[in-house]
Amino acid sequence: MSGHHISSAKFLWGIGITLFLLTFLTVAVTWINIPEPWNVVVAIGIAVGKASIVAAFFMNLYWDTKFNLMLFIMSLVFFLLMIGITLLDTLYRTDPIPSF
Amino acid sequence: MSQPTALKEKLDHLQHHFIDSDQQFDAAKMGMWVFLVTEILFFGGLFVAYIVYRSWYPELYLLASTELDTFWGAVNTFVLIGSSLTVAMAIRSAQLDQIKGLIINLYITIGLACVFMVIKYFEYAHKFEKGILPGSYYSYEGIAHEKANIFFSIYYMMTGLHGVHVLIGIGLMIWLVVKAKRKVLHSGYYTPVEITGLYWHLVDVIWIFLFPLLYLID
Repeated sequence: MSGHHISSAKFLWGIGITLFLLTFLTVAVTWINIPEPWNVVVAIGIAVGKASIVAAFFMNLYWDTKFNLMLFIMSLVFFLLMIGITLLDTLYRTDPIPSF
Repeated sequence: MSQPTALKEKLDHLQHHFIDSDQQFDAAKMGMWVFLVTEILFFGGLFVAYIVYRSWYPELYLLASTELDTFWGAVNTFVLIGSSLTVAMAIRSAQLDQIKGLIINLYITIGLACVFMVIKYFEYAHKFEKGILPGSYYSYEGIAHEKANIFFSIYYMMTGLHGVHVLIGIGLMIWLVVKAKRKVLHSGYYTPVEITGLYWHLVDVIWIFLFPLLYLID
């Protein structure tokens, strides 16, 4: 419940270094040419991992009220809805591509 | 005598409609999260555009992405993550009443944000020279795809909107430095640092997705 969690400097540096390593990893996996579509899955997977670490430990959602976490998750749910419903249209058009 | 005065000073920030500092802090933070939700959906629209056009022209994205320099994209990712770290350290300094540390961390953050924008400027300038401009201003011949301008319209919209957020973030950090120097901020009232930090981390999170989606697909 407490919104005043104080992280130790060591912990924050640990999170920062983890994010640096994951950034290096996301570049490094492009050197080994993973076949389609797994290269996209791996790249997005690492990005989701990094974003979760930032949200949990830099944005303090891990220690914060559950309400803020709910707000964040709901935004992602509606974002996925926006993607899903749009793709239901654009992927299945008989004349799929507009002129622009 | 001195204690009531000290107590009053420490509560200068408290608005009359809140019960106490904690309630005011939690309300401000929740308000910021609601704003971040709108930000996620704001950028979300652009991500949807990216996804729809990538599903229509997968080969275009692979071709056009070779024009983006992975090295500088990676450097900018490191720079932004570093700035997120210094913002987290700035919040920690404020929580511990280390105002000097707070100001130093804010200065480093501003510096890193400026490095990000300078790199972005050179990336943009390099493309403008080649005639890689958004939409109908596109005049580059180097990509064998008739819809090449679409990729770069999306690129400029996404990185441009993100860049505007970085610039606004720099402005907010300067505002925080001014507040810290006026000794407004202390362990009992660091709300502006906390919510600016949330904003800055979100800008970082968006770049974490932009980097692999735009630079790393070739």
